[in-house]
Amino acid sequence: MQVTRTLVSLSVTLYLFFTCKVQAIDSVNIVLRNHLFLPAEVEVPAGKKVRLIIDNQDDTAEEFDSFDLNREKVLFPHRKSTIYIGPLSVGEYRFFGEFSPNTAQGKVIVKESSNAP
Amino acid sequence: MTKSLFIRMLLCGALGLMSVSARADGMVVDKVYHPYVLPFEREVEWRLLSRQTDDRNELAQRAGLGWAIAETVTVEGYMIGERDQDDNFDLAAYELEARWQVVEQGRYWADWGMLFELEKRHKVSAYEATLGVLFEKEFGKVSLTMNAFAVREWGRAIKNEWESEFRAQLRYRFDPAFQPAIEVYTGEDFVGIGPAVIGLYRFAGQRQLKWEIGFASEVAHSGKDHSFRLALEFEF
Repeated sequence: MQVTRTLVSLSVTLYLFFTCKVQAIDSVNIVLRNHLFLPAEVEVPAGKKVRLIIDNQDDTAEEFDSFDLNREKVLFPHRKSTIYIGPLSVGEYRFFGEFSPNTAQGKVIVKESSNAP
Repeated sequence: MTKSLFIRMLLCGALGLMSVSARADGMVVDKVYHPYVLPFEREVEWRLLSRQTDDRNELAQRAGLGWAIAETVTVEGYMIGERDQDDNFDLAAYELEARWQVVEQGRYWADWGMLFELEKRHKVSAYEATLGVLFEKEFGKVSLTMNAFAVREWGRAIKNEWESEFRAQLRYRFDPAFQPAIEVYTGEDFVGIGPAVIGLYRFAGQRQLKWEIGFASEVAHSGKDHSFRLALEFEF
């Protein structure tokens, strides 16, 4: 009986996973160079999922960290990394690089859809 | 909230209820696992679990060392100590655990991971293998995390059987150092619910200290059955 329950649970889980639809997602490009995020501030629309594409042009790895965005991601050197954020409410969400917290700082500014680029 | 989102929440709730039953070896309250792995991550961990019933107090501690072996896979080894029937605290088991982040965080409707564990009781022929599904979904500043486990126990000193277990945590990300939560644990003849607090403190670089404190009270039966858990995790 327990095996049946477990199999049913796993089946439901797999169903949920494979039936998730991927929606069209806006992208925002950021460059990490000399331990600086460029641009340091990006605007995104409220209520939408957004893809941050961060191109780490430095020779060292960095770790993107944001409690506001609930994201942690290692940015490998000379590689583009993708971070999915949102849907977010209007406001400002800070992020920083754990290995260079004094210089690698940035902000995602979320605006109503009509005001965001 | 969209209709499809609501339906999925209902299905996930059903997933949890279907998983209600059990692990035979006692301590059900433990850690709710998140489906995320960071490359380069290394950690040392210590957990304390104390369960007070009308009859006795059970105590278990575990110390672990973990490291990421790939971008999405981390492994951790544990030594587990328990207090025995004579009130002596001694080494009780060893465990090897692997956690796999299946999808990129935030990419899909929810985040998924898998957990694999193999445990061997010390000095006796008793083994336990666990396969777990890890789930996490954000609702603004609230995160819902659920774990469903299928457990196989075997050996000459233990009954060969399948078990299952379910854990859930609803966490409000108020502040890095203070994230209140409500947790639910179900296991063999046990349904526990109670508050928890999760927090972290960052040091320079990738180093950080995470802590979790939780208290769960058994609600399905009369009589005293309270569990307290404490976990410290240092990542470096």
